[in-house]
Amino acid sequence: MAITWRVPVLVLAGIVPVLLRPTVGTAALWVLIVTALTLLDVWLAPKPSTLEISRSRLGGIRLGESTTSDLTVRSPARRVRALVRDAWQPTAGATDNRHRIGLGRGDSTRLRTSLRPRRRGDLRALGVTVRAYGPLGLGARQRTMPVAGSVRVLPAFEARKHLPSRLQRLRELDGRAAVRVRGQGTEFDSLREYVRGDDVRSIDWRTTARSRTVVVRTWQPERDRRVVLVLDTSRTSAGRVEGADGGVPRLDSAMDAGLLLAAIASRAGDRIDFLAGDLRVRSRMRLAGQRDVTQRLQEAMADLEPVIAEADWSSLAGAVAGLGRHRALVVLLTPLDPHAIEESLLPVLPVLTQHHRVVLASVRDPELEATAASRDTLDDVYAAAAAEQTLRRRDHTAAMLRTLGVDVVDADAESLPPALADHYLQLKATGQL
Amino acid sequence: MTVSTGSTVSTSSTTTGGWFRRKRPVLIVALAFVVAVVLAYLAAPKGGESYAPFDPESPDPDGSRALAQVLEQHGVDVEVVRSSKQLEDTEIGSDTTVFVTGTDALGENTATRLRERTADAGDLVLAEPAPYVSTMLGIPYAISQTSETVEAGCDDPRWEGLSIRADAVTTYDAGSCFTHDDGAVLAPGDGLTVWGAPQVLTNEQIVRADNAAVGLRLLGATDRLVWYVPALEDLAPDEAHSPSSLLPRWITPALWLLLFTVVALAIARGRRLGPLAVEPLPVHVRAGETTRSLGRLYRRSGDRTHAGTTLRQAARTRLAQRLRLGRDATSEAVVGAVARSTGRPGLEVSALLTDAPLENDHDLITLANALAALEEEVRHP
Repeated sequence: MAITWRVPVLVLAGIVPVLLRPTVGTAALWVLIVTALTLLDVWLAPKPSTLEISRSRLGGIRLGESTTSDLTVRSPARRVRALVRDAWQPTAGATDNRHRIGLGRGDSTRLRTSLRPRRRGDLRALGVTVRAYGPLGLGARQRTMPVAGSVRVLPAFEARKHLPSRLQRLRELDGRAAVRVRGQGTEFDSLREYVRGDDVRSIDWRTTARSRTVVVRTWQPERDRRVVLVLDTSRTSAGRVEGADGGVPRLDSAMDAGLLLAAIASRAGDRIDFLAGDLRVRSRMRLAGQRDVTQRLQEAMADLEPVIAEADWSSLAGAVAGLGRHRALVVLLTPLDPHAIEESLLPVLPVLTQHHRVVLASVRDPELEATAASRDTLDDVYAAAAAEQTLRRRDHTAAMLRTLGVDVVDADAESLPPALADHYLQLKATGQL
Repeated sequence: MTVSTGSTVSTSSTTTGGWFRRKRPVLIVALAFVVAVVLAYLAAPKGGESYAPFDPESPDPDGSRALAQVLEQHGVDVEVVRSSKQLEDTEIGSDTTVFVTGTDALGENTATRLRERTADAGDLVLAEPAPYVSTMLGIPYAISQTSETVEAGCDDPRWEGLSIRADAVTTYDAGSCFTHDDGAVLAPGDGLTVWGAPQVLTNEQIVRADNAAVGLRLLGATDRLVWYVPALEDLAPDEAHSPSSLLPRWITPALWLLLFTVVALAIARGRRLGPLAVEPLPVHVRAGETTRSLGRLYRRSGDRTHAGTTLRQAARTRLAQRLRLGRDATSEAVVGAVARSTGRPGLEVSALLTDAPLENDHDLITLANALAALEEEVRHP
């Protein structure tokens, strides 16, 4: 039950009888009357459980966008005046979620709560609280009912701003643009007439001799290669590094990089497989031949959260092998954490590099360099020493990975997605997939 | 995101020094408390006893010990009575003046007994009685107050040519001496006298105008003076006059109503519309946090040499890269190349980059900054 502001006002109105008959008994009697009226009103109030409440389904949205959640409330039995609160978890950003309703018998109404999520993942509605007032407006019955609902918030994919420029470069690799790239492993496409700007080295002299014009050979980049994205969701991916809005978790930045790479690779005609995991595989997806690769990838990434566990790279490598024996570009989206990598990843790397081309994309923390450079106080100097130590170990690990034939792309949160995309394009251009 | 903030570094030192260091805040607070208590004790007024205003034994500015002592010196037998029982035991004859101060503490019972006991007295003087005492004893009502000089201005030879002055003087609607604004300070009543200016008799104000003379003549007219200071303890339980008896009758029920209003308001506003919305909160840890903690560990263990070595090694690696010496360049090669590049003496560079000992923390800071400066010099010669 609940009471309204009218009850204290009514109690205060007791000052009139008290002035007429100034005894404590008058006051007590008045309070008793008000209490009885309030209880009666609560008893007469409609039961919230008689309302029929349903929620319309919500689709997924990207982080940073808003949506609305619609509740339909119907009162089949009687007239109802009520206050309805549609409670969501705080990061769902539900605003104006309290609604006053007045329903006649059999009426229904639609309550609209706008949501502006501040976090990636599945954000849930917690319940609908109904406070139904009695006929006098003094008391109310209140009850919270679970009305399931959730909104899936996809990763923001901030890096899609880099997409046009990278697609442009991809087209330059392709046979459509005037500039050709000739490289080992690129596939012979066709012959056509020379136009100015073509590389003279690509002139096919034998054909030119047979025809009247100069003829050049064209190549097209390899197609139908496999790209396997492996997203590490272990404890090291939880760290927050400097970036937009005061810092992003490494995992989110790695997702951004993966999404950009997938968008470009799918446009380039490659087949993309996606794996995410830590101790065990959390998500596995084959995107070969799908049109909306980024959309589906975002769906898969939406509810991934880092867990407090080390990554078990042997099981992840097993999962990579399970996706197919064909040579592939395996992109490991994992922080370059010396401990985690030396303990778990290094033993399985030879197997991976034997079959596949392996790239490790790591989100670097610019704070490390800043700490190493700051040397004002004693605390700073010790911190700088610690940072130098960490940096040295990172360099060492990166060097070790490179000797094992792994390409290491290490960049801060903002620039990792374009850096990884560029690396992919370079591999593509030189036909190393 | 869903990662706890990591383990806190705990140091358990068993030495006494460590105990003091850990308990330092507690000790400081305890010490401050002791100092505050001692200061408060020292600053407190000496003598301890506190007196009511106009008390004949009080040396305070609002006491009347000066007057009592002067009266005794002039041969008046001053007896101070502090309870009803003591008053019963005191001999009161026609040569006795009874002076009552602190009349607030008189109740119906004690007032009646006072009247009975003083029936034979030479005079009964009440110092500025409280309104309800006036009602009980049937004596004149106070009508005004003044702080101006009041002239005697009556035929009584005792007061001829005298005037009084005090911060607050009350006049009554009877009497003819010390008149002011249609009232008189000295008001005769039914077998007693009301004196509206007890402040005239206090240690502080007795020196003003003719206050001293008036005081002596008022109380020194007879050989004996019984100075009665009524005590609250003498009152019968039902006699105490509480302020509530003076208030309108509707106040109490109104206050009760107000209380219930506040309670109802609290309930109305305090009832939450549904449970609190909870968030399965991910904890964001700054990635650089572990490095900073490592730095603090170094600091705590005071491992200067290790920190210095690390900084030097990092500087050598970067300098070697900068001067294109390759990854595996020896420190001697780096020292030589840096000396050539900067023009500094080889020994100085060597001391900086390899072997100058670190005696104290200051050396470490100096080294760190010197290394940074050297790198900067090589980068931008």
